[in-house]
Amino acid sequence: MEMLLMGACLSVFGLAVACLAFGAATREPEQTAAAAPAVPKTEVKAAVRPARFFGDRPVLPAYSDVPIEALLLQIENHVRLEHAAAESFLESPNASLLHARTISSLVN
Amino acid sequence: MIHGDLLTGLPQEEAERVLALGKRTVLTSGAELFHLGDAADCIYLVVRGRLRLTLPMQVRGKEEDVLVEERSSGQTVGWSALIPPYRFTLTATAPLETEVMALPRSALNGYFGAHPDTGYAVSLNLSSVIGQRLQLFQAMWLREVQRMVELRCA
Repeated sequence: MEMLLMGACLSVFGLAVACLAFGAATREPEQTAAAAPAVPKTEVKAAVRPARFFGDRPVLPAYSDVPIEALLLQIENHVRLEHAAAESFLESPNASLLHARTISSLVN
Repeated sequence: MIHGDLLTGLPQEEAERVLALGKRTVLTSGAELFHLGDAADCIYLVVRGRLRLTLPMQVRGKEEDVLVEERSSGQTVGWSALIPPYRFTLTATAPLETEVMALPRSALNGYFGAHPDTGYAVSLNLSSVIGQRLQLFQAMWLREVQRMVELRCA
């Protein structure tokens, strides 16, 4: 009888160990991350796609602090440069001249 | 006497007769020759000085006249006077003392009716002036579109 009870206890213990092992093997990745030691948040954020998306955009200078007179002069200078670039294209029409860069501060 | 791009190719005497239809006007520095939307009754030849052609633009919530083009000695300004609906599509101001020859549409039409060869030659010159403006601004517009595509669709 004692042997029988001993065998039953060992079987229940073995079954419990097997269930724990199965649960650990089939656990969701998020649950694994939660259970794992804390990962620095910065590493997780670096892999987020929107951050790369905004990072790819060209950084344009802010003009909000430029006096309006200076801004108008910059616009005028930009128009003159664009005018000259367009005239160069018309003198010798080709794709590279059409899209030639200028030194305008508004677009650089 | 400057005949300018409008009278190119005309014999000297004929160009003088066309110019005799007009009236010289001197603009002081800062004076406005015509304003956007005004009725366009005269076409102008710049005799000396310079004219700034501007369009209104919103800059920080305020309307500002922004330079679109400049015209100097020998160049034609205000061809809206010969093209319906005869309204100026830009504002012209003189940044320095400037002299222009104002040629009224009514006088030109009358003269060209009596001298069709002259009318034809002037029409060709006017087409050239308008065509150059069109090509120039077409190229400028495409450059802006290219920049917009690079900025928004890269």
